[in-house]
Amino acid sequence: MLAPFLLGLAVLVFIPAVVTLVMAFADYDLIRPPRWIGTRNFTDLFGDEAFRAALSNSLWFAAITVPVRLLLALGLALLLHRRAALVGSARTAAVLPTAVPEIAYGLLWLWLLNPVYGPINQLLLVGGQNGLTAFGRTPPQWLTDPNDARTAIILMSLFTIGEIFIVLLAVRVSLPAELYQLAAIEDATGWDVFRRITLPLIAPVLGLLLIRDTIASFQFSFVPALVVTDGGPPPYATTYLSLFIYRNAFEYLRYGYAAAATLVMLLLTVIAVLVQWRLIRPFWARYRL
Amino acid sequence: MTDDSLTDEPGLVLADVHAAHGSVQVLHGVDLSVARDELVVVLGPSGSGKSTLLRVIAGLQPATRGRVRIAGKDVTGWRPGRRNVSMVFQTYALFPHLTVAANIAFGLLVRDTPKQEAQDRARRAAVAAGCDHLLDRLPGQLSGGEQQRVALARALVREPDVFLLDEPLSNLDAELRVETRSELRALHQRVGGTMVHVTHDQTEAMVLGDRIAVLQAGRIEQIGTPDEVWSRPATTFVARFVGSPAMNLVPAPLARSLLAPTAVDGLRSPGGSGDGLGDPGLLVGFRPGAIRIGGTGPAGVVERVEVVGEDAYVHLRISDRSLTARVPAGDRPEVGSSQPMSVRRPDLHVFDGSSGRRLAGP
Repeated sequence: MLAPFLLGLAVLVFIPAVVTLVMAFADYDLIRPPRWIGTRNFTDLFGDEAFRAALSNSLWFAAITVPVRLLLALGLALLLHRRAALVGSARTAAVLPTAVPEIAYGLLWLWLLNPVYGPINQLLLVGGQNGLTAFGRTPPQWLTDPNDARTAIILMSLFTIGEIFIVLLAVRVSLPAELYQLAAIEDATGWDVFRRITLPLIAPVLGLLLIRDTIASFQFSFVPALVVTDGGPPPYATTYLSLFIYRNAFEYLRYGYAAAATLVMLLLTVIAVLVQWRLIRPFWARYRL
Repeated sequence: MTDDSLTDEPGLVLADVHAAHGSVQVLHGVDLSVARDELVVVLGPSGSGKSTLLRVIAGLQPATRGRVRIAGKDVTGWRPGRRNVSMVFQTYALFPHLTVAANIAFGLLVRDTPKQEAQDRARRAAVAAGCDHLLDRLPGQLSGGEQQRVALARALVREPDVFLLDEPLSNLDAELRVETRSELRALHQRVGGTMVHVTHDQTEAMVLGDRIAVLQAGRIEQIGTPDEVWSRPATTFVARFVGSPAMNLVPAPLARSLLAPTAVDGLRSPGGSGDGLGDPGLLVGFRPGAIRIGGTGPAGVVERVEVVGEDAYVHLRISDRSLTARVPAGDRPEVGSSQPMSVRRPDLHVFDGSSGRRLAGP
């Protein structure tokens, strides 16, 4: 009964994984046969300015977006867990950006971020004069300034929190109402309720989402960087590891080099997950009853 | 100043309390006064509004009309935390991530009680509730009975003005329920406190309550001591609801036909005028134990016999009515046999047929 699943797993995961692992130590351009070159791909990688930029961009991106995404989703879930007027629409609004196909989402942002007629900069210019914002600053140059471009990619990732939001909402809704009624009878303040009840009870799931989102964060910068900023502004302001790998493999046909970069990305993911696991484990132990 | 004026106040007074879930009225004017250190059991079937009543007292749900007074203060409209009540939930509502000690001390800690004092008081409450050996455990490691004690200790720890218990025994198995029931009674006698205990279990109500308030469809049908509620049910509902098997209720003419001639009154023939059952609009109730099978009297057909330990419940059909009699298990008649039966006049409760109100009886 498991056979189709195992077949898929083998063809789509295990075999490509092994091939990638082997190819990381080879030179292969799809035309000539692969050539074994030992660890030269890796030494080349760390001498490659593009790779170093991609590595640093990816780490910064993960360090900023993962916690902010979790906090946003948690805030929304706690805000919208009760049934009230407009809550249904608000929940839909929170989930909708995640449901939009990634490419369409990217193209939409390309328009939103347009420095001249994009609505974001139009809004920022309200109340300002001579092309400056109300605070007398030039509006962000989303597509041409390196830092503004990186901010744009982060901004894009903060609206695709639908999945995390749904999971946290489901967890919050499933917490027994009696616990909160008891807290009300004991005159616990909102902060006490959050700190002593909600947060500890949600913590195991938060930990899980933290790990999941960290893993995913190395990937969900890919489409925005490809569609919206094209890895730039030049040279590599928004080139993330995923885009770096994609370019090397499918544009420059350096399959061995891309495979090596993939292994580095995998290693980073594993390290990040292990560190988080160590931090979270004491929490989880408390619930393993 | 306030204290002096409060000394004679009952622990809890409900005056004309109404409540609703959305557009559905759940409580239709409940009046209830609970003396200090009295344990009143609110007894009612599911859907009668008894949990809603507790929630209104606790302030978890607003009263749409009427007043709630706790320890002399009108607390209507106060938030739950200001009312100084504590509550034991049917599900116990223990925090799964906190130890027993932290669960018990929760109410103290959120009120900024110093940690050491909170710990000491939690320990004392745990001793009183018999769970002081569990202080370091997590709720998930406890049995249902142990969890129930912890919930009780948590209710005790703050020394509230009113204890509210929402079916706290209903999640325990039968044996433990009986045991915990008497412990709860003993605990109340020891520590006192104004308690409102909600249950659908009449035995629990009988054993625990100083008084019982029988609630039906959002109205209190009767308030009285367990003995009063049992022996002088105020309405046909109370008559049927309290007692197991339920009291037989039949139209007056049928009851009259069952009347056995008594020694004093031996010459009176059925249909005479002295028994007060002449009005066919009356309903007459008698407990299963009041039916005498054998001897003389009209015959009923035995439809079913249930043996429950020493007793047997005999279901008889007579004049298209089903009656239940309780007889010693050894004396039970055969199913399908025809048995003469009779009742005695002093065992009859007489109710008004249309209002269901009690008119006369023992």
